[in-house]
Amino acid sequence: MNFTVINHDVHVGHIHIIGVTSSSLVLVGDSETIQLASAFDTPPESLIIGPFAPIVVTDEGSKK
Amino acid sequence: MSRLSLVQWINTNAVAFGSVLQIGDSNQVILRSKAIALQRQYEFFDTRELPMTFPVFTKPIPKPNFDDEPMVFHKLNECPTISVRSIRTLGISSSSAVHIGSTKLVQTEVRIKHIRQLAEKGEKDASHRRAD
Repeated sequence: MNFTVINHDVHVGHIHIIGVTSSSLVLVGDSETIQLASAFDTPPESLIIGPFAPIVVTDEGSKK
Repeated sequence: MSRLSLVQWINTNAVAFGSVLQIGDSNQVILRSKAIALQRQYEFFDTRELPMTFPVFTKPIPKPNFDDEPMVFHKLNECPTISVRSIRTLGISSSSAVHIGSTKLVQTEVRIKHIRQLAEKGEKDASHRRAD
């Protein structure tokens, strides 16, 4: 595949960002390769309503 | 030849948890972080309580292949600069980056386990269970 890019003028005024989080990128410049990965796990089991005791986790990663 | 990045003014409040604010060119930016985000109704924290053994921390994350098809890349920089007058960010967190300048490779990965724990009705205070 042939891929041609022509970069003309880029002039930006103000950039206002509240947060850059969880594998995010703000890039003012050029890059060849960008790979951003994010895994966020909050299954229904992660909402625990019960006796307020410390959470004990076994080696397999399951809660008890 | 890569372009020149011009930023006149930048203001950032916080850079946290494996993050980077890079001013100037770089070759590689590789960031990794793991977090257990535990929200509790009452104050109780113990570092021994939750080991990092959840599957979310070990499962491989599939990445798109970019080498499958050979690519001929041509770039023509008619303007040699990218100019930004001002950048204002409150926070940069969890394997994130704000990068002023050119780079070759950016690779980031974050794994977060989010747990919420609420007390049963009637249970008012858990302070007596607090760890030493």
